Amino acid sequence: MSILSYNGGALVAMTGKDCVAIASDKRFGVQLQTLTTNCQKIFEMGPHLYLGMTGLATDVKTVQSKLKFRQNLYELREGRIMSPEVFTNMMANMLYERRFGPYFIEPIVAGLEPKTFKPFISVMDVLGATSVCKDFAVQGTCINQLFGMCESLWQPDLEPDALFEIISQAIVNAFDRDAGSGWGAVVHVIEKDKVTIKHLKTRMD
Amino acid sequence: MEVLNSNFYGGKPTQLHFSPYEDNGGTVVAIAGKDFAIIGSDTRLSTGYSIESRNQTKLFQLSSKTVLGCTGCWCDALSLAHLMQARMQMYLHDHNKEMSSLAVGQMLSTVLYNRRFFPYYVSNILAGLDADGKGILHSYDPVGHCEKTYYVAGGSAGAFLQPLLDNQIGMKNQQNVERRPVSMERALNLVKDSFIAAAERDFYTGDGVHINIITKDGIREDRMVLRKD
Amino acid sequence: MFLTRSEYDRGVNTFSPEGRLFQVEYAIEAIKLGSTAIGICTSEGVVLAVEKRITSPLMEPTTIEKIVEVEKHIACPVSGLMADSRTMVDRARLECQNHWFVYDEKMSVESVAQSVSNLAIRFGDSDEDGSAMSRPFGVAILFAGIDEKGPQLFHMDPSGTFVQFDAKAIGSGSEGAQQSLQEVYHKSMTLKEAINQVLTILKQVMEEKLNSFNVEVVTVTPEKKFHMFTKEEVEEALAQVVPLVKDDPLPSSSGSATKVK
Repeated sequence: MSILSYNGGALVAMTGKDCVAIASDKRFGVQLQTLTTNCQKIFEMGPHLYLGMTGLATDVKTVQSKLKFRQNLYELREGRIMSPEVFTNMMANMLYERRFGPYFIEPIVAGLEPKTFKPFISVMDVLGATSVCKDFAVQGTCINQLFGMCESLWQPDLEPDALFEIISQAIVNAFDRDAGSGWGAVVHVIEKDKVTIKHLKTRMD
Repeated sequence: MEVLNSNFYGGKPTQLHFSPYEDNGGTVVAIAGKDFAIIGSDTRLSTGYSIESRNQTKLFQLSSKTVLGCTGCWCDALSLAHLMQARMQMYLHDHNKEMSSLAVGQMLSTVLYNRRFFPYYVSNILAGLDADGKGILHSYDPVGHCEKTYYVAGGSAGAFLQPLLDNQIGMKNQQNVERRPVSMERALNLVKDSFIAAAERDFYTGDGVHINIITKDGIREDRMVLRKD
Repeated sequence: MFLTRSEYDRGVNTFSPEGRLFQVEYAIEAIKLGSTAIGICTSEGVVLAVEKRITSPLMEPTTIEKIVEVEKHIACPVSGLMADSRTMVDRARLECQNHWFVYDEKMSVESVAQSVSNLAIRFGDSDEDGSAMSRPFGVAILFAGIDEKGPQLFHMDPSGTFVQFDAKAIGSGSEGAQQSLQEVYHKSMTLKEAINQVLTILKQVMEEKLNSFNVEVVTVTPEKKFHMFTKEEVEEALAQVVPLVKDDPLPSSSGSATKVK
């Protein structure tokens, strides 16, 4: 069993019309045993910047702290907030520093560009190989299921309400077919003037 | 020279391996309704990164109202499908009637279990009609575990499409929706859409789709092209 | 028939010059010594009745079992060598269970008859496992049951030949009983009527007086499948028989032929 699927987890982000959404499950487990059902996998890194990570839970926490450290230095030095694009590059750079002993995480960055409020999502592997997506990005133990759901449900220019419904259906139905993730979900819909966080009740098995 | 010598004389012993199985990929999707059953397969046959065929259906007609879809190890699928066809013919001669879809379902389970310790490396989905003309599906694991369902996806993109079917046909995780049997038109569109989605992300699925629509009036064929990369 | 008896009646592997297999013919004779069994197939179900020969008052009548259940939907009355019949019934049961196991459906009556026929003609076989019979079975058997084609009745003789009948009698009284069946049978017969007729005819051809101990009655119907009559039910059925005989006496010739024996 891969170390990336040791704790389990599901993560998905989608773009919409002037908005983005990012959702994750809430399970934290050790292989097949579920330990808690309120595990945070999405972190607020700025007013319109969110980072989601699945993979090895301990690395998720470490990487989140290290990124916040670097981000604070950047923002103090530069006197401006970090854009999702810059954040992605910084993270990719940080992950590649551990080229031969990587952090076992699968990240997705989702947010709106400062000033233009253009939707932005990106996804990368453990070493920091990045892909900026115009449609959706998926990570986690049910990546196949998520791909199937997103590929058929997603369409361009979704309004925030529609985007919420589609990302919710995508993640919930995907992780219902995966033993490593599930047990509740949280969805963030990021718009120019507000961020809506909704917790989804799902089947708990 | 040294390399040659080391192989024959005084070199380390080498163990050669033979693997009897191959994964040739392919996807089968099936949906059953109240008076029909639809089963579709993609038409790509691959070995690793190479494509062996772009036009090979994975559906086998077993009777006037039963169709078998096989993916996995293609040689096993062929062997199994031909065995099933032979067993259908034997049943016809022994009992003077065509085998019912339910009987085929049970027979396939026993045929697979007979190879418990050298299994047919095949994911099977059987589509048919019951005695009342209602659509039924059976899905199997390689050693004969059988489940009766009304929608199922199997093969290389099975994991991609099963949650989609759960959501769109099983109406899973949807509140305040009317649960009525799926219409043939919607089922057919959903089968096609799901293959388009699978071809997008699974490189073992693509090239084309071959669909069989089973009703009491017979089996109708439908085809659709998919991306070929 | 016996005039042509010769060296050819010893082995089952050799035809006589006239093209006959004497051992098979003798086996067919042997079943004429068996107790009488009668079956009528109606649109409502099949009725079977068999005479039990209680040869000693010390005998326990319930241990004589002449109609057996092969599956819930198939009954087999037998006549002839009972020990042989056990082998055949076992095969019928095995084939039924195997069919259920492989196909998850009831085996048809004709298929059961076919599978037992396959066993019956295997006499004289030099099988590798040596399990084949060295002689034909000395048994006549009826297969009565319900399947998707409705109620059906098949008869099989020791040669393994099986034929479908509307009504059939086997055993010692079969000749007379068959004659009577031909006279009384009609397509629109009800189950109740058939029970009456079966018992009436059995009564005619039996040497003993018919009572609830020396007869076994079974019906196979779509509702109850295999149903063997209890002692009370047999008595009730017998009570119906008497008046019918008085009102509508059978031709005397049919009954007397067997009573000579």
